[in-house]
Amino acid sequence: MIVARFDEVVHAPNRLKICAILSAVDTADFATVRDGLAVSDSVLSKHVALLQASGYVAVEKRFGGARRRTSLSLTSAGRRAFDEHVAALREITEGDARARK
Amino acid sequence: MESEWTANDGLAAVTGGRAWLARRLVAPCWYHPCLGVLAGGLVAVGEGRNGTLFAWAVVCYSIGCGVVMWVNQHRVGVSIRYFDRAMTSVFIAQVLCMALVAVAACWLEFTRGLHGAFLVAGLCEFMITVAFGHWSDRVLRQRIEALQS
Repeated sequence: MIVARFDEVVHAPNRLKICAILSAVDTADFATVRDGLAVSDSVLSKHVALLQASGYVAVEKRFGGARRRTSLSLTSAGRRAFDEHVAALREITEGDARARK
Repeated sequence: MESEWTANDGLAAVTGGRAWLARRLVAPCWYHPCLGVLAGGLVAVGEGRNGTLFAWAVVCYSIGCGVVMWVNQHRVGVSIRYFDRAMTSVFIAQVLCMALVAVAACWLEFTRGLHGAFLVAGLCEFMITVAFGHWSDRVLRQRIEALQS
């Protein structure tokens, strides 16, 4: 069961998008996530580092051909934090909708 | 700026991220036709009634499929658990259809002596591959967009 819990680390716009993309896949290339967010490498690196420091995202670097490829994945803690955060957002929006009625 | 980020904005970002991913996962226009040409070509080669030629066609088919899939995987840049129940159903239906066409071609060509059956079957395999490929894309896209958190 998912408990609604607001998470400041996840809530920032770019970090929420990163988690939304990673939650739907097993792993995603750094470049793919960057394209999804339409941000620069440095901006994505900053957010990924914060998510990694919080234990929400795992980063794996490997050599594929001539270039080094970095793949990102949500950890189980990250997946739980994201699910709980989205549940909290839903509670807020549903509460707002009820208050307006 | 981030403090003004509302719950509605957050949910919209989640939906938007998933929609973007679903679009990215959909195969490019060349993908299914390439696989279709490989599958169709493999069956059409049967018309030559030459075992060595067919063996080479199997090798070319295997390598060709591997290359096409690798290029698309490289383009997409994500790994995902592809086969859930819906995708498995589509895949099994595709394999059954293709097998049925191949068996029918063998029967018409070898038992009834109808020349050209493998060529027609090859064309059918191409169309089946493309049609089922687009169906798989649609199922995958719906799955990603419908993910609930």
